[in-house]
Amino acid sequence: MKGFSLAWRSVIRKPVKSVLLFVTVFTISLLLLSGLSSGKATIQMQDHTRQAIGAGLLLEENEADRHRRIDVLAGQLDHEEGSLGGYHQEKITINGVENWRTWTDNSFETLLVEDIEIIAGTEGIDDYNITTVTTAARPIDFIRIEDEDVDQYSDLGGVSLIGNKDMSMDSNFLSGNAFITDGRMIQEGEKDVCVISSELADKNQLEIGSIIRFGKCGNIEDSMTYEAEVVGIYQVNQPIAPYMYGDTYRSENIIFTDLDFPEKVDGKAGDPLYEKAYFKIADVKEYENVKLKVMEADIAWERYDLIDNNGNMNTLSANFNEMEKYSRVLVWVISGASLVILFLIFQFWMKSRNREIGIMLSMGTSKIQILAQIMTEAFMIAAVAVLISFLAAPGVSDLTADYLVEQQIQSMEEQDLLDEGKVAFSYEKSEQNVVGVQAEITSGMLIQDAAGMALLIAISVCVSGIAIMKRNPRDILQAL
Amino acid sequence: MILEAKNVEYAYKSQKERKVLDNISVRFEEKKFYTIIGASGAGKTTLLSLLAGLDSPTGGTVLYEGEDILTKGLNYHRKNHVSLVFQEYNLIDYLTTEENVKLGGIDQPEELLSKVNIPQEAWKRNVMKLSGGQQQRVAIARALASNAKVLLADEPTGNLDEQTAEGIIELLKRTAHELGKCVIVVTHSKYLANEADEIVQIRNGMIDL
Repeated sequence: MKGFSLAWRSVIRKPVKSVLLFVTVFTISLLLLSGLSSGKATIQMQDHTRQAIGAGLLLEENEADRHRRIDVLAGQLDHEEGSLGGYHQEKITINGVENWRTWTDNSFETLLVEDIEIIAGTEGIDDYNITTVTTAARPIDFIRIEDEDVDQYSDLGGVSLIGNKDMSMDSNFLSGNAFITDGRMIQEGEKDVCVISSELADKNQLEIGSIIRFGKCGNIEDSMTYEAEVVGIYQVNQPIAPYMYGDTYRSENIIFTDLDFPEKVDGKAGDPLYEKAYFKIADVKEYENVKLKVMEADIAWERYDLIDNNGNMNTLSANFNEMEKYSRVLVWVISGASLVILFLIFQFWMKSRNREIGIMLSMGTSKIQILAQIMTEAFMIAAVAVLISFLAAPGVSDLTADYLVEQQIQSMEEQDLLDEGKVAFSYEKSEQNVVGVQAEITSGMLIQDAAGMALLIAISVCVSGIAIMKRNPRDILQAL
Repeated sequence: MILEAKNVEYAYKSQKERKVLDNISVRFEEKKFYTIIGASGAGKTTLLSLLAGLDSPTGGTVLYEGEDILTKGLNYHRKNHVSLVFQEYNLIDYLTTEENVKLGGIDQPEELLSKVNIPQEAWKRNVMKLSGGQQQRVAIARALASNAKVLLADEPTGNLDEQTAEGIIELLKRTAHELGKCVIVVTHSKYLANEADEIVQIRNGMIDL
């Protein structure tokens, strides 16, 4: 009788041990899959402060990923002065104490044009716009609007420049809050042109065709100035929300320019800092389908937030507090505990099968063959258990991911309470709510799970089998 | 001469100074029925274990057809040269009667099962549902199923009533005389010992001549 048929009969005719292993492997496999999928779960969030306007999608940088990239690059520099991927660090000595100064440049912070173009190439996307970060600039030959009651000592004393690839798709104009009262919007491809607020125009007697000059903010010695022709004048229904505190960023001082102008004024020509990208969907009825297609684009999504017109966005667990880390810990804990449990089960198997092992040895079956038969039995049972766990995994994974997300929200809330009044933010924090969690099981995870289970079982059987390997057949038979 | 113990010594690892077997030399031939007798603790089962290749002697050699069994390995010896029958039958509890015999290395066990008088209705039954006598017959059938020229049995009738034991003894004798095998049986039974062609008596780890 061949080892396989013997193993099969043992599995079928010794149901207690088989069921014990089946239930154990099923549970372990399910937990492992849950851990793996939670680590790659998509958390659906709604941001009440950021929404794409109309039938469009908005792309912005993901803040959590930004912090993680900084940590990675800092780790790679390993306490050495230097620059890597747009991240810089140097040692400075203040009052005899050595400190580190770290900063990032535009190449680190900007949305990547190649990624924007990949998304723009998705079927169903009609057109797209890129918006620069709000950039402070020094007015050279015009006066900005100021609040006379406010001490301007800490202000930059500038105005704000916002560059757009296609100004008609700027969120302020798309929403209808800002509108042109004189002249026109900036066309795509134009250079050194701007659209100013009616307040600025009135204060400086500027009109369409006027040329105004800008310099780099905060550096009065810098003699470089840049001219832009006023092609339009706008008004707003409600003041545009300031990017930061101070008159530099007040609504009236915001000047819309062509895409390349802000980087030039900032002395960083060719090194832009794009903050947002807007994608206009051709057919509004196809909105959800196009959104799904965009999400399939082959770009590093962990770097971005894709926000729809309801403020919904999908955040990867890697960008959701420490969820990915917790999931990884969960997988390791499950693996460790499983190894112990499986070892105990196989110890039980070996002990309850001492007679059979003795008989097989007395008939000249080698110890390796006996171990192989036990391994075959274990794999037969495990294969069925793992396959069934694949069917149950999606439901359980969602529950696990839900639980982990809840834990993370709780931890974030606790942290916020601790930080209250201690941490100041230079920007307004967005309000985000979790509206759903989706833990998708991929074929890669199934392979990982199956391979992990196979490894755990192989290790457990081999370790449990050491007791047999060390004893000679006579000792085993005498012990019966 | 098929099997030979030559100057065999054996001592447990924990009690190396106390020899269980001391310089034992004995030869066994085909077509003969041998019994090994002796008091409890005399070393009968130890000698049988060494002849079966379940353990290796601490001194001397066990030869099969003139070759040291360690040359080809104890596994090889157990698989090809000898077959074993135990007092406790040692059948595999989740297999049927037929399947247990098949473990010996044959695909058609029916003839052997008939030869050892196992009724046909018991062939496909779980072996644990058979009587003690029947189980021992199945164990003998399994031993006969291999091509081994030597059958070693340790107290094969120890758990059986007198009548059943007689049947088993008859079967072992036939195995030696009709099938031409060398049958070596360790026993306490005087009746069984008297049925043997030759008796090997062990006393205090030595052959009592």
